[in-house]
Amino acid sequence: MAEPLIQVDQLRTYLRSGDKTVKAVDDVSFTIQRGETYCLVGESGSGKSITALSIMRLLPKDITSHPSGAITFQKNAEPGGAIELLETDQEDMRTIRGSRIAMIFQEPMNSLNPVYTIGEQIMEALQIHWPDMSDEQARQKTIAALADVQIPNPEQRVDEYPHRLSGGQRQRVMIAMAMACEPDLLIADEPTTALDVTVQAEILRLMQELQQRKSMSILFITHDFGVVAQIGHKLGVMKHGEIVEQGAVQDVLSNPQHDYTKQLLAALPENLKQNNRAAMLAAFRVKQKANKEEADLINIENLKVYFPIKKGVFRHTVDNVKAVDDVSLSIRQGQILALVGESGCGKTTLGRALLRLEEPTSGVFSYAGNVLSSLSQKQILPYRRDLQFIFQDPMSSLNPRLNIATTLIEPMAVHGIGKNKDERIALAQDVMQQVQLDPEYIWRYPHEFSGGQRQRIGIARSLVLNPKFIVCDEVTSALDVSVQAEILDILLKLRADRELTLLFITHNISVVEYISDEIAVMYKGKIVERGDTDQVTSSPQHEYTQKLLSAVPRLHH
Amino acid sequence: MIPTLLGITLVVFTVMAASPGGLSVQNLVDTQGLEPEARKALEDYYNKRYGLDQPAPVQYLKWLNNISPAGFTFDESDEIDGFSLVKGSDLGTSFIYGRPVTELLKERVPITLLLNLISIPIIYLIAITVGVRAATKRGETFDVGSGFIMLGLWSVPTMLAGVLLMGYFSNDQYWHYFPTSGLSYREAHDMPFMPHWSNGFEPIKLLFSILLGAFLFIMFSAKANRRVRATGMAVLGLVLGAWLASNMAGESGWVTITLIALFLTGIFYVLGDMEYDSFRTLTMGLLGMFLGALVAGLTLEGEFVRGFMLDRIWHLVLPIICFTYGGFAFLSKLSRTSVLENLLSDYARTARAKGVSEKDVLWRHVFRNSLLPLITVSAALLPSLLGGSVIVESIFSIDGMGKLGVEAVKLKDRELVLSITLISGILTLIGYLIADIFYALADPRISYD
Amino acid sequence: MTELTTKTNSGYAKSVLKNTFSQISARIGFYWIAAVALLAIFAPFIANSHPYLMKTTDGISSPLLQHLIPADVIIIVIFITVIVLYFLKKNLAFNVLALLTVLVVSTILSFALIKPPQLVVYEKYREMERNNQLEWVVNAPIPYSAKDYLRDYGETGMEQPLADDKRNHWFGTEQSGADVLSRMIHACRIALGIGFVATGIAMLIGVILGGLMGYFSGIVDMLGMRLVEIFEAIPTLFLLLTFVAFFGSSLYLMMVIIGLTTWPGYARFVRAEYLKLRRMDYVQSAIACGLPLRSILFRHMLPNGIAPVLVAASFGVASAILFEATLSFLGLGLVDNPSWGQMLNQAVQSASFYWWMAFFPGGAIFFTVFAYNLMGESLRDAIDPYLKKKT
Repeated sequence: MAEPLIQVDQLRTYLRSGDKTVKAVDDVSFTIQRGETYCLVGESGSGKSITALSIMRLLPKDITSHPSGAITFQKNAEPGGAIELLETDQEDMRTIRGSRIAMIFQEPMNSLNPVYTIGEQIMEALQIHWPDMSDEQARQKTIAALADVQIPNPEQRVDEYPHRLSGGQRQRVMIAMAMACEPDLLIADEPTTALDVTVQAEILRLMQELQQRKSMSILFITHDFGVVAQIGHKLGVMKHGEIVEQGAVQDVLSNPQHDYTKQLLAALPENLKQNNRAAMLAAFRVKQKANKEEADLINIENLKVYFPIKKGVFRHTVDNVKAVDDVSLSIRQGQILALVGESGCGKTTLGRALLRLEEPTSGVFSYAGNVLSSLSQKQILPYRRDLQFIFQDPMSSLNPRLNIATTLIEPMAVHGIGKNKDERIALAQDVMQQVQLDPEYIWRYPHEFSGGQRQRIGIARSLVLNPKFIVCDEVTSALDVSVQAEILDILLKLRADRELTLLFITHNISVVEYISDEIAVMYKGKIVERGDTDQVTSSPQHEYTQKLLSAVPRLHH
Repeated sequence: MIPTLLGITLVVFTVMAASPGGLSVQNLVDTQGLEPEARKALEDYYNKRYGLDQPAPVQYLKWLNNISPAGFTFDESDEIDGFSLVKGSDLGTSFIYGRPVTELLKERVPITLLLNLISIPIIYLIAITVGVRAATKRGETFDVGSGFIMLGLWSVPTMLAGVLLMGYFSNDQYWHYFPTSGLSYREAHDMPFMPHWSNGFEPIKLLFSILLGAFLFIMFSAKANRRVRATGMAVLGLVLGAWLASNMAGESGWVTITLIALFLTGIFYVLGDMEYDSFRTLTMGLLGMFLGALVAGLTLEGEFVRGFMLDRIWHLVLPIICFTYGGFAFLSKLSRTSVLENLLSDYARTARAKGVSEKDVLWRHVFRNSLLPLITVSAALLPSLLGGSVIVESIFSIDGMGKLGVEAVKLKDRELVLSITLISGILTLIGYLIADIFYALADPRISYD
Repeated sequence: MTELTTKTNSGYAKSVLKNTFSQISARIGFYWIAAVALLAIFAPFIANSHPYLMKTTDGISSPLLQHLIPADVIIIVIFITVIVLYFLKKNLAFNVLALLTVLVVSTILSFALIKPPQLVVYEKYREMERNNQLEWVVNAPIPYSAKDYLRDYGETGMEQPLADDKRNHWFGTEQSGADVLSRMIHACRIALGIGFVATGIAMLIGVILGGLMGYFSGIVDMLGMRLVEIFEAIPTLFLLLTFVAFFGSSLYLMMVIIGLTTWPGYARFVRAEYLKLRRMDYVQSAIACGLPLRSILFRHMLPNGIAPVLVAASFGVASAILFEATLSFLGLGLVDNPSWGQMLNQAVQSASFYWWMAFFPGGAIFFTVFAYNLMGESLRDAIDPYLKKKT
């Protein structure tokens, strides 16, 4: 068997923060062969990124220490061409970085220098490692690299600035830059997490293609098992700085050995579905049959929400951003309708418009027969009890200055729920229990809670007024997979207990398949498909829906 | 731009008009020591002449009309006579000086501009040098020390600095190295522009001495090791300090000599000890040049005529010091923060991952991005500098716009006050415009729409 | 608004304060300001020509107490109230209310009851001493008032410190003959007073305007920003000069004027913060719950947006003090009341350099401004990382 391209042995990376030392990577060992894709999987804080940065030696010297470990890298194919990366000095590391080992990162928005053209940045990578290359040669190579990553019109694009490119295109540029010097190992740290699902599919396809053509190895860091299933050969699961399980992807995914791996896989919405959904769905269907004649709770007709684009000295409107473009939709009581689409399709705007957080430009929507779209803000006030909203970012959805009690009690006081403060506190504590949090926590402040806990408090806040309809805006997108599973289950239980109607906005198809009864697909402000979740996901009608569904990386093909 | 200008002048005019006493020629008239009737007659004359007998809004409108290039023209009896598009701007006549304001401004504004324009590059240069270093060596002695010193400098009120500088360096009681006032001596106007010597060899000797001094010091800074450097400089400081102290015009007690010597020793020690190579070598090189010139100057014989240029520079040294120290203190903090943020940014991480050396990451990638907030701030720098010139010009008796403004306000000279407001407003807005243009040049994300 | 069983902000404010003062520079700054404040409060007791107690043939009397003016008494009463409130440890609303009541009551009472004699002859105590009319006398530590021009010693004018062996002037005397140290101590009041009141006024205007601009956008924002731009384009010093020259330079007027010219900076900060906060989810949630506007503006947005304003305020107090000193220096400041800037003005006159007039008042200005700047810096450092902290 050939020598592995890179071999990590008992790597330990300790980071000093103040007077505490964090064991970010604690005894990690793995190998990657040539032409192989190794996926490093784990939840946030597991140490996967730090491992990658340790290989590249990009961690700040003054706080990093490696008490043990060795990283052996085959710099060239001859015997004896191996070097010990942890012992290499910075000068030599620089010759390796970008030319033999390259790295791409998660946020394509910020990873390119805004003041230089993309051509200049790629040429820099070339000319650092081949100082004798002329400008003309470098430019030609750059254009070729851009063509390789399928950027259209590379001869013109090469002189553009990063801010003119979309997220997906920027990531392609990053890949082009990384591959310009034809490295042996590409380290990709969550490169597609910030991208839309369809874009992600294209980028993954691109990477696989490049890998085959150049027989490059990839160390792919992600938290998404679906992606792993799609492109990985080997897989390592990390938790708290250690690799708890590793092996061939098919083996680990179908037959996990370690408890943690089993737990993670079980929490995936795809797998949740198998376990819980059947029972819940059955219960729900029974109830639905009883309420067959239930009217639509929410009725939307020809809703338009346009944002004017103002230009020029006099700020006159030249055009409109058509966030919601003539949408008609109705939601039955007791239902969970998933509103699906990629970023910028208008789903969040639609949800916010229903609560009059955005003003509709035209069109009508009504709640339980009452037209809400044309009422003034003052007239809407009584309805605000019945319609609520849960936000995406747990970090910013709670006022950091108020304790939980105040956050929960204030809306109650405004709407006259509860006769006095003590009663309201009791009600607040009751709601906390329903979201499975200790009622005594209401005296604490938001910064004392984790992301998942804060999201539960956000749910609690929305329940405090006893609403009938809740818009859930990407409520699990910022959470780890295991936490996400808990939140979804809480929502399902609440829906059953309180007979809620939910508009569940998300871009994550597997979550949709788990939690929703019906699905509406949105694209560029319009609803392109609508129907029963099971039906739509198994046989999508609209072209966009098909594209969307096929782009989702699945565990089980 | 125009509405803002209008707004500015309106605000100032309202302040003047709304004040107790309003717009009047009180000051002009009171000083004359006249009989009541004569005084009244004089007052009436002035009122009529400057249009002060009309209600305030009318005065303002009339003034607006005067300053705009196109407007109504008036005949002798003050009736509207016609409308002209090329009337030309008339800023009026000053109460105090009796001369047209435009003339006064033509004399004074260039001087203030000179002060400002010389100061701005100095401020930026020092601020960036210090800020970048502080950011790259975060938390180390240079960073903490310079941060502290900068904050201290910023806290020194301009007048205190000016008074101290003048008091110690332009005074007969201490060292009379610098002139006490103005921008140049009367005689200087008659001097030729460049300095010249009677004996042809003198400049060569001078040049040689300067170069030798610079060379010696640069070598010393670059080659000697840290200990030697620091002690050497300290000794030099001690010697210089003692010499300076004994050179004082007045008597110098032991206390004063030791204090001064210690002070200089301390500064020189720090300079020699510094790890910031480029900065230290540069400063020591300059010091060497200066000492070389000094040594040569002491041994030169023959006639030496200072020349207009040198004279100007000599007069400008103290005011410029006063002018700049506050600015670079603030900007150095800003540039430090900006560079720090950018060093930790995602694109810097990408550059490092590409194999770019840390030095190149700093100067090729981070530097340009760090300049952006500095450019934004420069827009606000101009009004504060114009304000600062008020103090500096007053202390150093430099006849610039700021000093004129103080006089105008003290003596309630309506035309002058309004005109100076107008000019400073225009200058400020031009400053904003220039800053905007620079920013658009530096940041490709900005486009004019 | 709903009452709370626990204080709001107890977590955040306390830890920010702790972080700020963990830096030694901030502590030094704080001690200096505290010292200046104490001097300001107790000025009439520290530097006064009127003795504490004296015994003459007419009996024992306390001229110092007799000559206290209402302002002296009010300040001391407020000081005592602050100490008492600190130990009572009530919440913010109670404290503010209590202080305001005490202020109003004491102002009314003092002005009604305290009437010091109109004619003050400082020299008479020294004359009495020379003529042996005093049995014994207890003097203040610095037995010179701020306005005691030492007429009994003739025309003294400027003197170096400790020049004369008959009388102790630690910091020398100034132009009209008054003791410099005494004037400096009394000037503490003006320095601190102007600093706080002027900045307070500027903050009030700035916060209100900035908040309205940030929350409502649209026309309100456009008009407001024009106003801000106009005020910012005029060099502040020049505007101040104009105001003061035309309106006169009484102390209270100066405070108001400085406040009226420095508000744009605060308005910009608040506006920027409010624009950011309006998009925050918890504000959106408050709107979605139908909370009243005043709650949204003052309970949800303001406490979260105030941090940069406080940092700016710390630097603002320093610059207000500098402004007053500059105005005095240029001859437009307070005339009779002692002020540090005014004394600095006398340092360079007729080509002589009176070093004690530059060092002592100038040094006082420098240290006070430096102290505020140190605290401001520490406060800024303490706030920034906290904001970036993620759980």
